[in-house]
Amino acid sequence: MIRYLLHRLGSALLVTVLASIGIFALIRLVPGDPVSVLAGPDATPASRAAIRAELGLDRPFWSQYAHWLGDLARLDLGPSYKLGGDVGSLIADGALNTVVLTLFALVLASVGALVTSTAAVVWDRRWLNSLLSALNTAAVAVPTFATALVLVLVFAVRFPVLPAGGTPPGGFFTHPDIAFQYLLLPGLALALPAWAALTRFLTEALRTQLQQPYVTTARALGIPRRRIVLTQALRNALPSSVTVLGIQFGTLLGGAILVEAVFAWPGLGRLIEQGISARDYPVVQVLLLLSVVVFVLTQLAGDLIHAWLDPRVRLNGVS
Amino acid sequence: MLDLHPTETVLAIEHLAISFAQPRPAVEDVSVSLRRGEILALVGESGSGKSMTARAVLGLLPPGARAAGSIRYDGEELLGLPETDLNRIRGRRIAMVFQEPQTALNPVRTIGWQLREALRAHGLKSRRAAAERAVELLRAVEIPEPERRLGSYPHQLSGGQKQRVVLALALANEPEVLLADEPTTALDVTVQAEILRLLDRIRERTGTAIVLITHNMGVVAEIADRVVVLQAGNVVEEGETRTLFANPREPYTKTLLASVLRLPELDSVVEPSALLPSAPASDVPGPDVPGPDVPAPDVPAVEFRGVHVHYGSRRRGRAFPAVTDVSLRVAPGEVVGLVGESGSGKTTLGRLAAGLVPLAEGRVLLQGEDVLAAPRAERRHLRRGLAFVHQDPEASLDPRYAVGASIREPLDIHRVGTPAERDARVAELLDAVQLPASYAARRPRELSGGQRQRIALARALALEPTLLVADEPTSALDVSVQARVLELFRDLQERLGFACLFISHDLAVVHQVADRVAVLRGGELVETGPVGTVFARPEADYTRRLLDAVPVPDPARRGRRVRELAS
Repeated sequence: MIRYLLHRLGSALLVTVLASIGIFALIRLVPGDPVSVLAGPDATPASRAAIRAELGLDRPFWSQYAHWLGDLARLDLGPSYKLGGDVGSLIADGALNTVVLTLFALVLASVGALVTSTAAVVWDRRWLNSLLSALNTAAVAVPTFATALVLVLVFAVRFPVLPAGGTPPGGFFTHPDIAFQYLLLPGLALALPAWAALTRFLTEALRTQLQQPYVTTARALGIPRRRIVLTQALRNALPSSVTVLGIQFGTLLGGAILVEAVFAWPGLGRLIEQGISARDYPVVQVLLLLSVVVFVLTQLAGDLIHAWLDPRVRLNGVS
Repeated sequence: MLDLHPTETVLAIEHLAISFAQPRPAVEDVSVSLRRGEILALVGESGSGKSMTARAVLGLLPPGARAAGSIRYDGEELLGLPETDLNRIRGRRIAMVFQEPQTALNPVRTIGWQLREALRAHGLKSRRAAAERAVELLRAVEIPEPERRLGSYPHQLSGGQKQRVVLALALANEPEVLLADEPTTALDVTVQAEILRLLDRIRERTGTAIVLITHNMGVVAEIADRVVVLQAGNVVEEGETRTLFANPREPYTKTLLASVLRLPELDSVVEPSALLPSAPASDVPGPDVPGPDVPAPDVPAVEFRGVHVHYGSRRRGRAFPAVTDVSLRVAPGEVVGLVGESGSGKTTLGRLAAGLVPLAEGRVLLQGEDVLAAPRAERRHLRRGLAFVHQDPEASLDPRYAVGASIREPLDIHRVGTPAERDARVAELLDAVQLPASYAARRPRELSGGQRQRIALARALALEPTLLVADEPTSALDVSVQARVLELFRDLQERLGFACLFISHDLAVVHQVADRVAVLRGGELVETGPVGTVFARPEADYTRRLLDAVPVPDPARRGRRVRELAS
């Protein structure tokens, strides 16, 4: 297990380094540059060159990259170009909002998927399956920003029962009930695609498990079908579903940018959106790298949980 | 209990018919009655409906199947009973044991958990009482250290132990009827013998009536009281085991009994050359292979010189030895049977001949040339002289290729002749395996198991190999089909004169086709010699035990064998 972990950590590190180069290069390839944003449309070539030199953008690519890595290693994220203030404090301000929102959506998607897929398998009715399948397709097909807008229109505008956006005024922890109301719409909008994808996967995994010979053994022993689904099939279907959940986490990270924009949610997603519009390299670079790191760590955690859930892997130490 | 109601019927199946959305019903008209405390064998080849009949009893038919007729347990009609009522019967009154112990247990739950779950289903809710009963059950199926085993997962047990656990699950709620569907087919012969004895003891101790579903006439002769022979969904014949074996009435029963391969009695020598007149009389003896008479020393088709193979991590200490110091020669045109139980290394040795597994030590010579030391191009040429036939033709033939294309593929790869010549060769090969040339256009799923294995054989022979490695080529086939395929194999081998490593766990099959036999155990060579000599006068203890464990299709010998096994 230790060797497996070391092996995985090594590849995770490699992915992160390659991603950092990619991010650094990609953002510089995007049309438009921070100098014109900062200097404004009427700047003289001389003042533009001065700004360029000040930001260090006149140096060669690899030198800029090495400089950035050095700063990262010292955890000195530097000042932002345009958004104002230190990149570190900008991130610290938005981080909690995004973490709470993403975790809320993650829990919603995984618990929701667990409920819908076991329900579909336990009550194996044709109408239920058709209904779930239709909802599923809709949830995957409709883009997140559209779902978000519809949710706002229905539950905040037409029937004003929930707040249309923003974070709870008293923070998340003083009045959890109020915080919940604020989280519900953005959380749902964010969770829906992952919920649907997970439901589809888990339902299929459960059905496959029910074809396995050990299920026939259990049925021949007089164990009720529902109990077999809940205590045996589900337990066997979980390991692979955890891996899929890890991949779906990437969807959540991407979705957070759109959802935060629609709900005026002051989180990292909104920060990244603003950073991209302003060509604020330091902000965007760090945030993209951060999301890569979070994603890679989630994958790693998913694989470890998978290994731990499967005694054949856990007890043999073989991957 | 056994003596109180010796002829009382516990389970009565009458005019059972099972149909799918297919032209032919799986079961057409089957009536079977099971008496208290008896062992009734349900025999038949694949497609005879024996498994479906058993599954119908517990309402475990696959979706889409419809059953008609009547199945009565203790006077209660089981057909059409709702699921909740069936769950009252399942496991508690009638339990079932399945063929494949590897998959019959839940891989992510402990043995103890699964036993408790079985007990819980019929009312034993107390954790402690269930745990105690679980230990008792494991002890009843003779699993050593039952307390410790409760915490084990299925993958930590051997195949035989798993089947004992499956049996313990079935016996958990003291059923009156046990349906055992090929319970020993996936097991080694020595383990099979132990499980059969265990079944017999359970019947004696608890009075449980057992329906034993099997295709193996040896197993039937070993423990069944009565036999019901099924063919294509109908009962062909039924009777007391001794009577039926001694005087089969129906032609089908006679064929079935006639196609069973028999081993000679120990100590009666059969000359191997009498079986295969045109094959070379003997092998070229290696340094450690005692051979009788020495003919001209040809270059062997394959020679293993002190080979070792390790599986698992190559780092020190963690490697698992699959083959240890084996030296063996196969002379040109000679058929050498590799026998042994699972884990004996017989398959590994076969794959080693083609350089498909990494060699840790020793040398493998194909026609005198070192396969692994040869340069890439040369290796390709050497491999051309070698062909494989695998156990499961369903898995080894591409389902999307027409079988003609499968046979042609090796010719295409090695660019033999013009395309027209290749097509002619395919027709010729089909003819050699006694299939019409028109079969070239068919897909594997349109053929029967025996036909598919003929195709696999035709493909293997396409490049006229000097060595054929056949890994359990007939193990997935019914006995009557097996007999025909083996006959074809012998015929082709005589005509084409290729050498063969014939890998099988079935000693009777090896006895029929091989000139010489090599007995493997745990990766080591136990004994080699002419097949007639080794099987009649085995030198190694292990070979003798292996031969003893093979069930003999002769109920008259049963008493003698039980005494032998007990000693």
